[in-house]
This record gives sequence, structure tokens and C-alpha cells, in this order.
Amino acid sequence: MSLIEQVIIRLLNLFLSYEQINTLFNDPRTVAVIIGGLIALSSAVLGSFLLLRGLALTTDAISHTVLLGIVVAFLVMVGLLGMEADLSSPLLIIGAAGAGVLTVLLTELIERSGLVKEDAALGLAFPFLFAIAILLIARFADNVHLDQDSVMVGEIGMASANANSYCFANCDPITITPDDPRAKITRECVNCLSEGISPRHPNAIFEAVCANCGTYTAGQIIAQASRGNPLVAPEDNPQLVFIPKSLGVMSLLMLITLAFVGLVYKELKLATFDADLAKAFGFRPALLHYLLMVLTSLVAVGAFDAVGSILVVAFFIIPPATAYLLTNRLWLMLALSPLIGVISVFTGYEFAKGNFLGLIDMSAVMRWLNSTFGLNLHTTWDSSISASIVLMMFFFLLMTWLFSPKFGVVALMIQRRNQQRQFAEQVVLEHIYHHQHTEAESTELCAATLHEHLKWSKRRMMWCIARLRALHYITLQAGQVALTERGEQRVRQFNRDVLGLSIISDTTTIVT
Amino acid sequence: MTTWALEIEDLTVAYHSKPAVWDVDMCIPEGVLAAIIGPNGAGKSTLLKAALGLIPKATGHITFYGKPYAQARAWIGYVPPRGSVDWDFPTTALDVVRMGLYGKLGWFKRVGKNETELAMSALEQVGMADYAHRQIRQLSGGQQQRTFLARALVQDARIYFMDEPFVAVDAVTEKAIVAILQSLRAQGKTVVVVHHDLQTVTEYFDWVTMLNVQLVANGKTAEVFTSDNLHKAYGGKLAFLNDMGVEVR
Repeated sequence: MSLIEQVIIRLLNLFLSYEQINTLFNDPRTVAVIIGGLIALSSAVLGSFLLLRGLALTTDAISHTVLLGIVVAFLVMVGLLGMEADLSSPLLIIGAAGAGVLTVLLTELIERSGLVKEDAALGLAFPFLFAIAILLIARFADNVHLDQDSVMVGEIGMASANANSYCFANCDPITITPDDPRAKITRECVNCLSEGISPRHPNAIFEAVCANCGTYTAGQIIAQASRGNPLVAPEDNPQLVFIPKSLGVMSLLMLITLAFVGLVYKELKLATFDADLAKAFGFRPALLHYLLMVLTSLVAVGAFDAVGSILVVAFFIIPPATAYLLTNRLWLMLALSPLIGVISVFTGYEFAKGNFLGLIDMSAVMRWLNSTFGLNLHTTWDSSISASIVLMMFFFLLMTWLFSPKFGVVALMIQRRNQQRQFAEQVVLEHIYHHQHTEAESTELCAATLHEHLKWSKRRMMWCIARLRALHYITLQAGQVALTERGEQRVRQFNRDVLGLSIISDTTTIVT
Repeated sequence: MTTWALEIEDLTVAYHSKPAVWDVDMCIPEGVLAAIIGPNGAGKSTLLKAALGLIPKATGHITFYGKPYAQARAWIGYVPPRGSVDWDFPTTALDVVRMGLYGKLGWFKRVGKNETELAMSALEQVGMADYAHRQIRQLSGGQQQRTFLARALVQDARIYFMDEPFVAVDAVTEKAIVAILQSLRAQGKTVVVVHHDLQTVTEYFDWVTMLNVQLVANGKTAEVFTSDNLHKAYGGKLAFLNDMGVEVR
């Protein structure tokens, strides 16, 4: 883990100075958005496949049962290995992967028993594992940082506070001895406390004491400097860079996810679309399935710390569902869903701070509610970041569902209206086509009574005729409608392409 | 000596403790259009899937041109029933056909221009070239079936297994599919079809396997498509068959 963190710092150092990196990672907003973005990216890529495989709920189950993996890993860490409890330890990753696989295995086992259907099997397996996890927390781990809040919604806003540090220059520890010029020598009363006398008492004995002697690590030197006790000249300060712990973990998970999907994209696609053919080709869809589940568990546990176990599933499912409404190409879906996820994280953070897409100031809304309804609401809007992100995801999904150019509700409504209108036009054109040059022409094709023949309202027919004239399909002369050359062409084309009437010659009259 | 494209010995497949296919011995010679027929629940699809290793078998030994499945994989083309995949999947007809080439490509290798060209020509063969870039959900049932057929064609197999390719397709599409199957036979390939429509058996197929969990008959259509065998396979349901005008000897 430290390797990837150092690599990240080195890479950033190509563009930014160490001080700039520290400023960047010291800002809760930047860190929250970066980590949220990394989670959104990995989970949207995996989620696209999960959604298409009908595994949306499995993701939800896994995001809960990873808690069991976390708790067991915690207990192993603290109880058996005597390590310090740490939510970003690689051990947790192993625990989470195990829990994810266990969930899937248990679900399949229950399902294979034939007693219940797949959804019920899932509903049996994951509360069981989740309950064990809760029991273990309550019994053995109630003093570690695994409280209800962080399990529910995470604390992405605090991600910047939990950081590792790396030293890049002037890293040697400094030892200050009493004869060092930097040593702060003070004279202190050595027997005042023990004898209960004041320093002014004649019996008080004074000795020279060094206040800052000792050995200082790079981190302690920086800490002293920030307290206004610089031990070295500012230019000789150790070059410490702080990097949030989640950042390294999530970057690594993103790299693994992208590498996995990039490497076996073709195999995953086939196994998702047609598992039988994938198996017949020897692609081992079951193996791919478990790898996908392991990765899902890993990302879920990585995201657990940041957004909590309840909302993780939103990161996996909503952006892919939105992308699914926008495109019917898998590769485009895989490109769009992370983008939607990352945008949701960015706008969601802003929303949590009271700024809805730069359009609505939530505290102004609160003030308005207060003044209009005489309420006494807090006017500062500082809300759960993860919940706000998920709400933004829903907002984008809703907008897409309504306005997607191809499959959106509005587009479909417009399309349907157009179809209806075109069909109505076609009906009128066909009517004229069948009756013109016949004996009934004068009665059937009289513009004023045309609506009666088709049992339409007069108004509807007027509009239709107006449109057809504007499109130069018909002419209106002496109250009689007639097809133009263009109109006849359209009728013939329709008859051939749609009705398949190519056999029927143009002169055939159809008795109505 | 006849070359057997498919030889099955002592095949038994069970779901839990209920046998779906019971002790079947059968063979299909090279270069025929073979139908596997039998009533619902007779284990036709199960037999096919077990032969292709898609579901585990309780007992049995299966060879393709004398080789076990693992060695014969490249010679086998499989067309699953149309309902077995999600047609809302975000992909195009062309892409579905390209999937037929994944087996030859093997792990990790990417689809290239060559694969696209092969897929296009297969789509042309089944009369679907104009629909290559359609989202598969927008295709009609017959077009979806043709797409599946094109996907099998690009596999360039020696023996094709098709699970109910004629379900829910119109007469024109059915004739078109049969024509393609016949041209495959003319190239010396073997086609095994799980089939439902008894009326067309004698017209389309020159080899018939009749199944009702156990094997009822296996041989040339002219020899085994008899009312006696049909009675054995379909039992009391055969009264319908006579009404439907199925021609049997």
C-alpha cells in the first residue's frame, strides 16, 4: 500500500510541488471529491456488468456482508496479531473478498437446494452474514472505530484527516543535546513539588533543565515547527507529504478494476450475454463470475469507509442504469457510467454544502421557508455528503429517463405523436389515392366533407389537410383535394415498403 | 465405414434425483441434417447441453468425430434457444455475430478488422447485412434467429448444434434457415437440431433421434420416423399428430 501511495506522490510531484500536494490533500473538499470519484469510477465500471447480469441486488448483499469480512479481519488484526485497528489495512481487503465470495457461495448453495428462488436465497444469505457481523461488533469490537454512523453513511468528508506521511528530504532525525545552541535551557525548581514549597522559598533548589532535548523524527520536527518552535531553519525542514489513506486504497482498486475489465472485456461481455456459449468456448464464465464478485467486494469495502454500506449499492447501480438509458453499446455504457458517477460525486458534494448544481442555494431556500411559513429551520445547509451524492445520482437518472434522446419518456412521447400524425396523413393520402379518378371522386374528395368519410372531427381533418398541402403532397382546387406527383410517390412507396403491396398494380381499385 | 460426427454412450443426466435423460446411446453420422424430437420434457435440450458440457452428466461418454469435447471444441458450433439470452443487452447484431469468433481468438486477444469482415459476410449469408448495426432489441424474432445462425456460421464448425431454431419465426424465415442448413450439409457439415414441428421432419431432416427421457429411436428418417415409434415417444398425445396431418409410415 505504501508503494502505491509513494507512486501517487511521485506522479503528482511531476506537476506540483510537495507543498502544493500537501495543500491539496489538506482540503476536505478536494479529497472527498477525489476519493468519491475513484469509488464512482471503479464501481460504475463493475456495476455496468453487474446490472446487465441481473446482479444489482447481489451488490447490495455484498456491500452489507463485507462488514463481516471487516469485523473478522479486525478481530484477527487486533486479537491475534496484536496490530493497531485500522480501517484501511490490506488485511481488510482479504476479509472483504472472502465475505463477498462467501455471500455468493451461500446464496448459490441455498438456491441449489431448490427450496427457494434466487431472490429469496439472497434474502436468506445476506442478513444471516450481516447479523453475525453485528453480533461480533457488539460482543468483541465495540470499542473500535466501527460505529453505527460510519456503517450507515460513511464519512467521506473526513477522509483527508486520516493520512499517511512520507518523507522525501531532510528525513534524518535530529537529536538536541543540552550543549546544542538550539537547546532551550531553563532553570527549574527541582524540589518545589516534592517539598510543597514555592520557588521563592529559600530552600528551593534550582537546576538547569533542557526543555527541548531529545530525538525528533521528521514528523515531530514538522509538528514543532507548526507550533512555533522551529528546530531547524525553514529551508531545512523535512519534506513531508501527507496522503489520505483511502486515496491509496481506492487508486489501487481502480487500477485493478480497470486492468481486469480491460483484459477480459471480450470474455466478460460474452459471459454476460450468453454464458452457455462462453462456457462452450472454454472461457470459464463461473471463474469470471467469481472474479467479478471478488472485485465488487473489494471496491465495496474500499467504499465502505467513505460512503457506508447502505449507499454503496447506489454507486454500483445508478450510474450504469443511467448510462443504459443513454446508449445501446456496451463500450459506450462503460465509458458513460463512470463519467456520470464522477459528475454525481462532484455535484453531490456541492449539494451537501448547500449548492444545488449552482442553481439553487439551499440556505436561501431555508431562509425563504422560515420567512414564509414562520418556521425556525437552520439556515446553514451542511448535510451528509454520501446521501447528497446518491440524490444527485437519482436526479441525473430521472433527467435521463425523461430526456434521453433515444429512450427518454419525452422523446418517446414526441416520437409517438409524430407517428400518429404521420399515420393520419398516410390514411388521408391513401383515401385520396383510392378515390381519385373514380366516379365517386367528387363526393369522396370534397375537402369540406372529407372528415365525414374517415369519421374524424372537422378540425382534425383541417389540420391534416393544411399540413399535407404545406408538404406539397396534395393540392386543393375548387374545394377538391388531389394528390400531387410527390403525394402519389409517397403512397406507392408506403404500399410497397410497409404494406408489401408490390404485386397490386397502381391501377387496381380497392373496393371500400 | 461411416464416420460418426456424434457418438453418445450411456448418457444419463439428472436434475437432483429426477432423470432428464436416461441411459441414452445414440450416434449421428457425418454430413446429415439430424433432428432430435420428442415431447416436452423429453430431455432434448438437456441432451444437447450435456453433450456440450454445459451441464454436468451423471454418466456417459460423448465423442465428436471420435474425439472428446475438450479436443473437439473448435469443430463445434452451438446455437442456443433464442430465449436464453437477454435481447435488451446493449449491443448490435454485428457484435453478436463477432462473438462467434471469440472461441477461436481465445483469452485476452482482441477483436479486429478481420473478425468484423467475417461477421459481416456471415450476416450477408443470412440476409441480415442491412441490420448489422441495429441494436438487437430492435430486431424481429426471425431476425434475431438469423443473427444467431450467422454467429454459428462464423464459427466455421464441422458439427452444429441448434436448440429450436424455428420457434416463433415466420414461414419465410424458416425456409431461409433451412436453406442455409442444407447448404451446410452440402459442404459436408453435420447439423443437429432440436426440433418441435413433426410436420416438417420428413421434409427437412435425413436423420432422426426420438427421445422421451430414454432413447426411442435413432436412425435415417425414412426408417425410424414411423407411427409406431412416434407412439412410443409421444404416447397418448399422438392423436393430435394424426389430426395435424403428420405424414408417417
